[in-house]
Amino acid sequence: MVDLSGLAQALTFGLIEASVIALGAVGLTLSYGVTRFINFAYGEFLAWGAFTVVFLVAIAPALPLPLAVAVAVVAVGFMGVAVSGAFFEPIADRGGLPLLITSIGVAFVLRYLLVAIASTDARSLPVPLQRPVEWMGVGLTPVQAVVIGVAALAMLAIHGVLQYTTLGTVMRATSGNRELATVAGIDTEAVVRRTWVISAGAAALAGVLYTVLYAPVRPTFGFGYLIIIFAATLLGGIGRPYGAMLGAVLIGVTISVGSAYLSPAYDQAYAFIVLVVVLLVRPEGIRRGTF
Amino acid sequence: MAIVTGWVAFVVTVATIACIYGLLTIGLNLQFGFTGLLNFGHVAFFAAGAYTAAIVSMPPPGTVPGARYMIGLAVPMPAGLLLTLAAATLMGGVLAALIGVSAIRLESHYLAIATFALAGIFYDVLVNERWLTNGTFGMTQVPKPLRATLGADAWALAYLLFAAATLAVVYLLVGRLLEAPFGRVLRGVRESTAAAEMLGKDTDRIKLVAFSLGGAIAGLAGGVYAHYIGSVVTGQFVAGVTFTVWAALLLGGVASHRGAVVGAFILVAFQQSTRFITTAYDAAVAAFPDTLGVVLTALAAPLPGHPAFLPSVRFMIIGLLFILVIRFRPAGVLGDPQEVTVMGSEE
Repeated sequence: MVDLSGLAQALTFGLIEASVIALGAVGLTLSYGVTRFINFAYGEFLAWGAFTVVFLVAIAPALPLPLAVAVAVVAVGFMGVAVSGAFFEPIADRGGLPLLITSIGVAFVLRYLLVAIASTDARSLPVPLQRPVEWMGVGLTPVQAVVIGVAALAMLAIHGVLQYTTLGTVMRATSGNRELATVAGIDTEAVVRRTWVISAGAAALAGVLYTVLYAPVRPTFGFGYLIIIFAATLLGGIGRPYGAMLGAVLIGVTISVGSAYLSPAYDQAYAFIVLVVVLLVRPEGIRRGTF
Repeated sequence: MAIVTGWVAFVVTVATIACIYGLLTIGLNLQFGFTGLLNFGHVAFFAAGAYTAAIVSMPPPGTVPGARYMIGLAVPMPAGLLLTLAAATLMGGVLAALIGVSAIRLESHYLAIATFALAGIFYDVLVNERWLTNGTFGMTQVPKPLRATLGADAWALAYLLFAAATLAVVYLLVGRLLEAPFGRVLRGVRESTAAAEMLGKDTDRIKLVAFSLGGAIAGLAGGVYAHYIGSVVTGQFVAGVTFTVWAALLLGGVASHRGAVVGAFILVAFQQSTRFITTAYDAAVAAFPDTLGVVLTALAAPLPGHPAFLPSVRFMIIGLLFILVIRFRPAGVLGDPQEVTVMGSEE
């Protein structure tokens, strides 16, 4: 029965990582829904979220951590709007490819602006080191439990916005057909801006959770983690938030089980093998549904 | 014989690296500029070539202290250089073919993600498979052919000539290929895969050939690079290389054969010359301690002092280059706006 508890532990670690991936994947997929391009700059919002909290804690040590996280999420959310307004919206009518290539430039600018400010040193957040609490052979630290809880609450909040608010309705309409939504009298530019707040904010929160789990982190971690977020997003079907959540769980568990039973050196590779299989099984590419 | 000193040595170095990046950019242009294939993993083919050249030419592991790699074929130099470069070219092409067989059918944006991720995995392999690559420590005794005979200065010049000749040969060969009917088919596939298929072209095979050729050219660049630097270390093959090559291609002009090489030279010259900003700053402050020196010191005072600051500014400028070229001049310096349809709106 030792094997069984080992597997349960690996699955648990998978769920913990999935909570970070899910937030990132849902955020990425939401902005894809209304902007229709693959955003290579998205990973930088994770790093900016994490390091905004690092900066806040350094400037004002008395600030409670949850408050610092909330400030960072809002700040990076508006940074997303600013980045979109400055770089993406002006060429939004030129199609997906110029936007995709522009996003690489944006990724470089954001990433190395952060490096220029913070240097390449690895940083941590003031989170206590804890012993895991054992329950039926599965260990989980209170901090890890909080990470899962925060991610789950954030998912619920995004679900609530999508399904039960006017913003959610117009977001879904814009995602389905931006031109039609414009004709129908929806201010789609405002919808795009609000979607960026949610999308970049979700990334910032994902970055903070990532740092809580895997500290110390360098300001360049976002770009590397992007592959994993892409894998979850594409697995769920790009533009589909609920698919992204499911994709995140599958990718998280795959990484964790692969690391535990094969080799921990290739964690990204497991995520990518899943991605390649999905792409090959559906050679026409993953269907782009609405929601 | 110290004729190759100071500025001359710097120019020789920049020109040699620019020739190597010129090869990389020609390869990427063949894939993206002429065939429309979004390759975001170019560095993997470059690395495959460099490591192949290293493994074929390094001394056997028993003779190198601290070696953890298990294969070093030690082909004799300089005659073996052709062999190592052929092997590097072949390996770059084979890796591209392997990736292409699985990924080439993907819609362009998914191909971008797939190649980006595959390059990341290839990097993980280089770091982890120490028996083959010596891990992060790297293969540090790649022979520099004729270096001992010629001495450092003459060798640097000779190797520049060799790199330039390699670039010229590849430039002419690829130029012929692009003028040939095959070049028109590539453009046809780029403009409309569906139309090319209607005309009875096997578009998957054509894309695969173009992708593999681009990979082979990058592999050759890797071989030339390995014997120039004399060591092959994982830190040289990060994703930043891929995007530097992209920046060179965008700057020079997508789908412009000449532009690809010009872009590589401009970009490498820019990258290398920014290394001298601190030297120039120190010299200026020392030369004019009163007025200019005070102004400069005051201007620089609020800037962070950590060593990553200047390199990160260099990368920010490369990022801005992407943004500005796409927005204001999609044809780059030498591109033909009529040809750069890949950068416009898609179907």
